[in-house]
Amino acid sequence: MNWNWEILPDFIFNGLRDGAVYAAAALALVLIFKATTLINFATGELAMLGAFFVYVLNVEQGLWLWLSIAIAMLISAAIGAAVERTLVRPFDPADHLPVVLITLGLFLIINAVAGDVWNYQVRRVNDPFGHFPSWVPNGSELKTSSEGNIACLENADGDLAEVAAGTAGAEMCEMVGRTFFEVIGARLHYRTIGIWIALALALIALALILGKTKAGLAFRAVSSNTESARLVGVNTGRTLGFGWALASVFGTLSAALVAPALGGVNPNMMLTILIYALAGAALGGLDSLGGAVIGGLVVGLIKSVLVSWFGVVVLGQAYFSILQLAMAFLLILIVLLFRPAGLFGTRRIERV
Amino acid sequence: MSDDNWPSPMPRPGDDDETPGADASVFAAFAPPHDAAIAALPDDTTAAESPEEATATAPPEDDDFGPELAEAALSVRSAPQGVPAGGPQTASGVGNRVRGLASAGGADRVVSPRRRSGPLSWIGAVLLAVWLVAMPLASSVTELRQNTQIVVMVLAVLGVNIATGYGGMISLGHGVFVAVGAFGAAYAVDDLALPWVVSIIAGAAFAGAIGALVGLPALRIKGIHLALVTLGLAIVFQPLAKRVPTFSGGVSGRAVGAELVPPSWFGTTRWAEGLYRYVICLAVVGLAMWLTHNIIKSRPGRAMRAVRDNDTAAAVYGVNLVASRVSTFAASATLAGLAGALGIVLVPFTSQESYPFQESLVLYATAVLGGLGSIWGSVLGVAIREVFSAIGGFLGDVSGLGPLGEFLRLLDEEQFVFGVLLVALTFVFPRGLIGMFNRSKPWLRYGWSRIAESKSLQN
Repeated sequence: MNWNWEILPDFIFNGLRDGAVYAAAALALVLIFKATTLINFATGELAMLGAFFVYVLNVEQGLWLWLSIAIAMLISAAIGAAVERTLVRPFDPADHLPVVLITLGLFLIINAVAGDVWNYQVRRVNDPFGHFPSWVPNGSELKTSSEGNIACLENADGDLAEVAAGTAGAEMCEMVGRTFFEVIGARLHYRTIGIWIALALALIALALILGKTKAGLAFRAVSSNTESARLVGVNTGRTLGFGWALASVFGTLSAALVAPALGGVNPNMMLTILIYALAGAALGGLDSLGGAVIGGLVVGLIKSVLVSWFGVVVLGQAYFSILQLAMAFLLILIVLLFRPAGLFGTRRIERV
Repeated sequence: MSDDNWPSPMPRPGDDDETPGADASVFAAFAPPHDAAIAALPDDTTAAESPEEATATAPPEDDDFGPELAEAALSVRSAPQGVPAGGPQTASGVGNRVRGLASAGGADRVVSPRRRSGPLSWIGAVLLAVWLVAMPLASSVTELRQNTQIVVMVLAVLGVNIATGYGGMISLGHGVFVAVGAFGAAYAVDDLALPWVVSIIAGAAFAGAIGALVGLPALRIKGIHLALVTLGLAIVFQPLAKRVPTFSGGVSGRAVGAELVPPSWFGTTRWAEGLYRYVICLAVVGLAMWLTHNIIKSRPGRAMRAVRDNDTAAAVYGVNLVASRVSTFAASATLAGLAGALGIVLVPFTSQESYPFQESLVLYATAVLGGLGSIWGSVLGVAIREVFSAIGGFLGDVSGLGPLGEFLRLLDEEQFVFGVLLVALTFVFPRGLIGMFNRSKPWLRYGWSRIAESKSLQN
């Protein structure tokens, strides 16, 4: 046992960074499940499509990165709403199987189409949080650039590695500039902070939309009780479409945030993230929005701290690193077996 | 009063897609002696009992319903003296329920009514027979092997069908069982140097054991949640299999050294060897289909479908839910594993690369396309899959790409075509394509309501 405490904060930061991405993806799942009790198996692929839109707009068309992300979110929202309107709404929401089949079909279609259009190579994207913007003061808390170089190279081995910087070598890192603060002896990367801020802003926006707008009120009414909502005059169909649009926006956000860390976009990029997101959503409770956020963060922490830090560093068993995905799967299994409602979900009572 | 005039024994309110009587006939088939005894009662005992007593005639454990049966029969017989004057209307309703159960247990209506097959099914049968005979004669060695692989694939699809169509448990992870069967058989025949027959059985059995393990959570996890878990299994499997090189051959896969050599009287040409393997695979597939058919028509199969349609009711009728669910999943995984084991007979190489999670989804899609809950539906699904991949291959040739791009494009085509088919058929043929062959039921309207637990989640 080699309790390497001093590197634990690094793992915690990494875990919370990955967790934030999972939280966004889990929110995409939960927004749909909450309203319709359906799991959209195509969530990951729709998100992947959004990341490709960002790639096309930003890298190929040369638009400003944040504008690209915003446009990609809008397109995804439109696609999500269109999918709901054309493929999901014709079916009885109480009967799950048709929609399982439809979303699985979509999964296959989107994956194949993306593979056909962009093939399966990893395509580099620009990182919205690659290095600190120029207005961040060069205070003493920033590392010097020489140490920053080393960080770049070291990081190339991490699970969410800065592949681009790592493979390009030291010169590349010099160009990229400083990428982290030092907090309690650990490196708090700009990307980590940026993902947290992006998620926080998106959550605030979601809370405002659901809490303050009429559409949000309708969404809450429908997800609370579809029949009653319809009886009091809520247009349930349009509201569910709105829910799918919101979910697609969150999916695209998660994919756009995680793409630079994966080295770029490719059609299979969201597969593993879908599993972690499902684990997070199941842990938090499939119909709890707050639960999805907490669940996603916890899954990120478990993956990083329990598996990577405790397993690999403390126990010194390298094979623990392959258990990350298996851990997510086991988590889904255990939660659904022993507490199907998750931590914060509503318990369903079956009447026979 | 003839049996046919009696009302549906177990009415299910709000479910007008249900064929009347089909459910109850499945349940009632578990207690034929009990039903027969009640059926033997004279008609004037209809004015009977309070509902509690009437339902109490359903035995909680089917193996020891003897005493209860006698008791129930006695109480029904003695009932007429105690009937309140104002109660014939409701009381006769209850009586009808009892008799409805009895009628459903009658010999002519056990389980599903015999399906009348339409003319299409004859055409299909003839086409299939012609293909099975003519194909080996007309193909080269390579084509014969590929076509044999298609035949073997029926097993895997049938496996999905048993779990989902008959057992009501959505399994999106059957590719995992195919892979486990292949790895297991390869391990047995190479590393343990067992004979082929034993190895194939060992591979299938190993897959079945894994399937039983996966079936355990299915006891509590149902419906869409089970779909989620099995999809997770399918996605997790490939990266895990890469890390177990002794079993799966790791990243590069494992070549199988042993070869299935036909006896000398069969011929020694490569084509004859291929034909031998074809005959063996065809025999195994036929045997498996026949066994599956028999299992489904017998007691475990009825239990399976009863659990699918309403597990609580099935438990009340004495079905052991644990045994039924686990054995259903194990049986379905065994079939999938058998497909994997036969796969290495045909191509002496296996690798985790061959079993990405998409393969599991395509297997599921194939079963759904053909028609869940029908053995021939699985055959039809595989046939459709091959027709479409042939069309896709043809189109891929036309567009004139490089060999690698074409290969990838072909793979994509299959995924893409299956995705489109899944979406389209869910709209048009909710019961799968096999519905076309079945005249007795409205295939366009029938819907998915039969298939399982979606009901229990409605509330």
